[in-house]
Amino acid sequence: MNAIIALSLFGISNLFLGFLNNRKILLPATLVFILIALGLNFADWNHEYYWFNNMLKTNNLSVNFVTIILLSTFLVVAISRSFGDDDEHSHPAEYYAILLFSAVGAIMMVTFENLIMLFVGLEILSVSMYVLTGSDKRSLRSNEAALKYFLMGSFATGILLFGVALVYGATSSFDIHGIAQGVAKAKEQMGGAYGPLLYSGVILIMVGLLFKISAAPFHFWTPDVYDGAPSIFTAFMSTVVKTAGVAATYRILSISFPSVYGLWGNPLVYIVCATLIIGNITAVYQQSFKRMLAYSSISHAGYLLITVLAKRPETNSSLLFYSLAYAIATITAFAVLMVVSEAQAKNGKADESFEALNGLANNNPLLAFSLTISMLSLAGIPLTAGFFGKFFVFSDAFSNPSSLFKWILVIAILMSTVGIYYYFKPIIAAYMKKGEVAKIELSPLYKFILILTTTLTILLGLAPDLVKNIF
Amino acid sequence: MNFWYFLTALTLLSASMVILSKNPIHSVLYLVFTFFCISGHYVLLNAQFLMAVNIVVYAGAIMVLFLFVIMMMDLSKNSPDSKSTLTKLAGAILGGTLLVILIAASRKVDLKDVKPIDAQTGMVEGLGQILYRDYVLPFELVSILFFVAMVGAVMLGKREAGERNF
Amino acid sequence: MPILSVLIFLPLIASLVVAFSPDQFKAYFKWFTLGVTAIELAICIYLYQNFNHDVADYQFLEQLDWITLPLGNLGIGSIDYLLGVDGISMPMVLLTGIVMFVGALSSFQIEQKERGYFSLYLLLTGSVIGCFMALDMFLFYLFFEFMLLPMYFLIGIWGGPRKEYASIKFFLYTLFGSIFILIVMIALYLSVVDPVETAVRIGLINDVSEITPQIITEVQNLLKDLKIPSEQIVHTFDLRFMPDAGNFLPDSWLNILSGTQIFSFSARALAFILLMIGFGIKLPAVPVHTWLPDAHVEAPTPVSVVLAGILLKIGGYGFLRIAYPIFPEVATEYAFVIVAFGVLSIIYGAFNALAMNDLKKMIAYSSVSHMGFVLLGIGSLTSEGINGAVYQMFSHGVLSAMLFLLVGVLYDRTHDRRIDSYQGLANKMPLYTAMTAIAFFASLGLPAFSGFIGEVFTLMGGFNSPLIPRWLTAIAAFGLVLGAGYFLWTLQRIFFGKYWVRQFEGTLEDLTFREKSMLYPLAILAFVFGIFPHLIFDLTNATISELLKLF
Repeated sequence: MNAIIALSLFGISNLFLGFLNNRKILLPATLVFILIALGLNFADWNHEYYWFNNMLKTNNLSVNFVTIILLSTFLVVAISRSFGDDDEHSHPAEYYAILLFSAVGAIMMVTFENLIMLFVGLEILSVSMYVLTGSDKRSLRSNEAALKYFLMGSFATGILLFGVALVYGATSSFDIHGIAQGVAKAKEQMGGAYGPLLYSGVILIMVGLLFKISAAPFHFWTPDVYDGAPSIFTAFMSTVVKTAGVAATYRILSISFPSVYGLWGNPLVYIVCATLIIGNITAVYQQSFKRMLAYSSISHAGYLLITVLAKRPETNSSLLFYSLAYAIATITAFAVLMVVSEAQAKNGKADESFEALNGLANNNPLLAFSLTISMLSLAGIPLTAGFFGKFFVFSDAFSNPSSLFKWILVIAILMSTVGIYYYFKPIIAAYMKKGEVAKIELSPLYKFILILTTTLTILLGLAPDLVKNIF
Repeated sequence: MNFWYFLTALTLLSASMVILSKNPIHSVLYLVFTFFCISGHYVLLNAQFLMAVNIVVYAGAIMVLFLFVIMMMDLSKNSPDSKSTLTKLAGAILGGTLLVILIAASRKVDLKDVKPIDAQTGMVEGLGQILYRDYVLPFELVSILFFVAMVGAVMLGKREAGERNF
Repeated sequence: MPILSVLIFLPLIASLVVAFSPDQFKAYFKWFTLGVTAIELAICIYLYQNFNHDVADYQFLEQLDWITLPLGNLGIGSIDYLLGVDGISMPMVLLTGIVMFVGALSSFQIEQKERGYFSLYLLLTGSVIGCFMALDMFLFYLFFEFMLLPMYFLIGIWGGPRKEYASIKFFLYTLFGSIFILIVMIALYLSVVDPVETAVRIGLINDVSEITPQIITEVQNLLKDLKIPSEQIVHTFDLRFMPDAGNFLPDSWLNILSGTQIFSFSARALAFILLMIGFGIKLPAVPVHTWLPDAHVEAPTPVSVVLAGILLKIGGYGFLRIAYPIFPEVATEYAFVIVAFGVLSIIYGAFNALAMNDLKKMIAYSSVSHMGFVLLGIGSLTSEGINGAVYQMFSHGVLSAMLFLLVGVLYDRTHDRRIDSYQGLANKMPLYTAMTAIAFFASLGLPAFSGFIGEVFTLMGGFNSPLIPRWLTAIAAFGLVLGAGYFLWTLQRIFFGKYWVRQFEGTLEDLTFREKSMLYPLAILAFVFGIFPHLIFDLTNATISELLKLF
């Protein structure tokens, strides 16, 4: 909670810092702001608080989610390099402020106790993303992506709101625990059946949220938007937005509607399978690294939803671990992609395709190595964090007695093999293809972040119990 | 009750006209009319304050702005439809199915234990009580949302040297 | 001294040293690698010397708690760093020592990106040897997957013209298999309980060291009656506990009594089949062998040596270490199927080898054929058969290393591997001809060489086994004839007749000193192990008779 207030204030102060006309000060200031927010977040550790008439609830689970969100934001800000030094066309103060504000939205989405809070949080996050997607005004792709995202996103929010209204109609409560009670009461009165309001409400809420985490068949916006947005914001979208979206989905489904599992579980089975298949198979055919990462983010949404669906007591910690592993690896990949595509664009070559990475290892061993580790982690190779993420998710699915999960597992396993194929494409390009990437000069902070994320990925692969015990 | 049916029919009719009319100016005018109809619904629900706000803010301010924007842009030349017939057909079938399901579902809704509203429910005072006591946190945080929208609008709207696409 | 850990970590650390040492030491990387593999070989020989032949159980045990995971109401998950060798793994460890050393010698010809190459080679050494010594299934899996990475890069960067295709094919095939193994691993892990740790948790004993067989039985009885609260149960990957049916949770998928059905298969049978596919790809058994010829053709000589010499053996080793002890009743039930696939590999591999014009492909298919004998021996479930299978793995490791080295010798000189490009080499390269003849004869199963022992014992096992029909083994025996066919035919085409080499102007040198120092010891080994088979059988016998008691 304190992190929300602090980040809102910091966002505003960031805008004022913009008046100083000194680009260099913004990056360190924003990093410090995020660290302070992290510290305030830890103050809620081991307490269970309800804030402002049950609008928010903080407990260890929410503190963990907020930590992942803030850590991802920190990493994204750290690799932003002050958005270049083009004073005319880039506005770092505004970008950083909006990033901080969107972190506020994301935090609301993982701590909400009332559906109004979910809605406001989701809107803050979404509107920030619409703006940032279109922030590269000179690029037609960026404009198109922003418009597409805005239109589809507002439609999805409308559907979510429709669902919230219907659920309110069925249970006369906005409070997620109140809804659970309302559902139970309805069950009592109706003799085990539920009114159509609840049915349609749950489904519509779920659709609205699944749109945000780009689960199939609500994923059609993802590749274009991720591809069109500036890479740094794509990194933010595919980590923070995804973590917050999955956490919100999990929160509402597991707290408000556990007793109507059949209602949302059955459609979710098909959604998970479709997400895994579409995300992975389509990723294979991509020529652009960035677009491939977009499809990979779709497929990872599928894995995350498996454990939501499995509804085990361990789902909490599996979700946290997977999100963390995924976020770190994805940000590393984007960090490498950004500098390489920038260096290649100067030579007038193709920028975000796999070819841009050809021969990267010759002159830039650090970049190539970080890229390799992040790809291995996303693919789920042992000794990386991603492996344990998959391991926990599969264990959850395994320990669920329902026979449906065997089918889901079969698909998930086949698809993770497919995943290995496309995650190796950048590695092949970096190490085995002939090509030349001139030595890229990296700032010390950039190097530090690359080394940090790579080390974290390996460390979590060696000793997952370090964080798993906390989660 | 009969008035409610009349108003609802009018709302739906004008809402569909918004998307059916070819001329954007007509669309906006129909939209304004739709907002008026919805305000009428608010009155029926005893929410006079909401009615007033809806008319002033949406039908008044925002729609007028919309009109200005449309008038300033040259929308006289009709761009050809980019969607194929198949896409349109699929969209119509999917949307229609959703509509049928929702209508079928809501026909079965049993509203016998809905609490009757008292005379004070929709009044400014009651609204204020709820907004500034129970829902003060979301109320305050909405300001962040507006702030983001504002910053975004200024940032995207600012003129810069060089070419741009919107 | 934790000698097994030294065996794993010495090359791993050496790999880091190579990776981070400055460029001016470039010339010494190969010597450094050779030195490290020499030390490894020395330690392996030391282990071999000190291995107690009469003990069936694991020796040189090392155990450390590695990862402990709270799983909520599922209990506690425990992953140990657990190493040990027994009669099945000891020959494999020794083989690894030998082949990696020879491979390091053969790597002297690598002339580009030495740092990366030798670093990866040492990484490969460490993970391969770790795979043979790991007794925790998780650790095994970790090494099993991890060795793919250095292998992938070794083929992909230093390979031939189609290296990208070959390396990703190799990687995807084995990884596809290993995901099946992962599934079984998770299922086993959720089913199997560590009785020792659980006893400590529920307070029967205070420390792991106080464990006695009575306590274990007590825990197992409590487990059977569902008397242990599920939060107290310690799940484990420990392979030592998995063969004991008493350690399985009563209602778990893989408990033999629960009879869980999945897709109308019994869960245990399904798990066994998944393991079969996983290890079968590695072995490789027909029809999932197609990655092998491609990988071999594109790989540089030392990598081919390691691939054929050691990596294939992990498939067979996995059968004996994991699939068979844990699922004995399924193994008995499916004996016919397994042997049938073995025989199919023998015959299909042999026919393919006959048809190949590329020398390396010919040898790769002969590997498929020879590894079929391993499957035959294991599937027979007789003492002769399994002993013979381990022997065959060892012998094939030595011989295939030698064969690929021999191809490498020729390829280095002419850059041509086609059999029909050569004639009458015996006139110009007498030593080379002699070595090739030894390797070929040893491989085709001439008595007095090691190949003979392995093949004869697996065939004996096949004939003696009550589980498989005689005619199947008889077909396998026909594979020997085919083997003699393709080896002798190749020998005749390349070495006899009038000297002629296609499109090659220079003169063909005979073996150099370095090549001699690789090939002579291997030839001697093939001979020694052919005459004194007890050198290996003594190691394996006790463990395998213990293993057979499960069936």
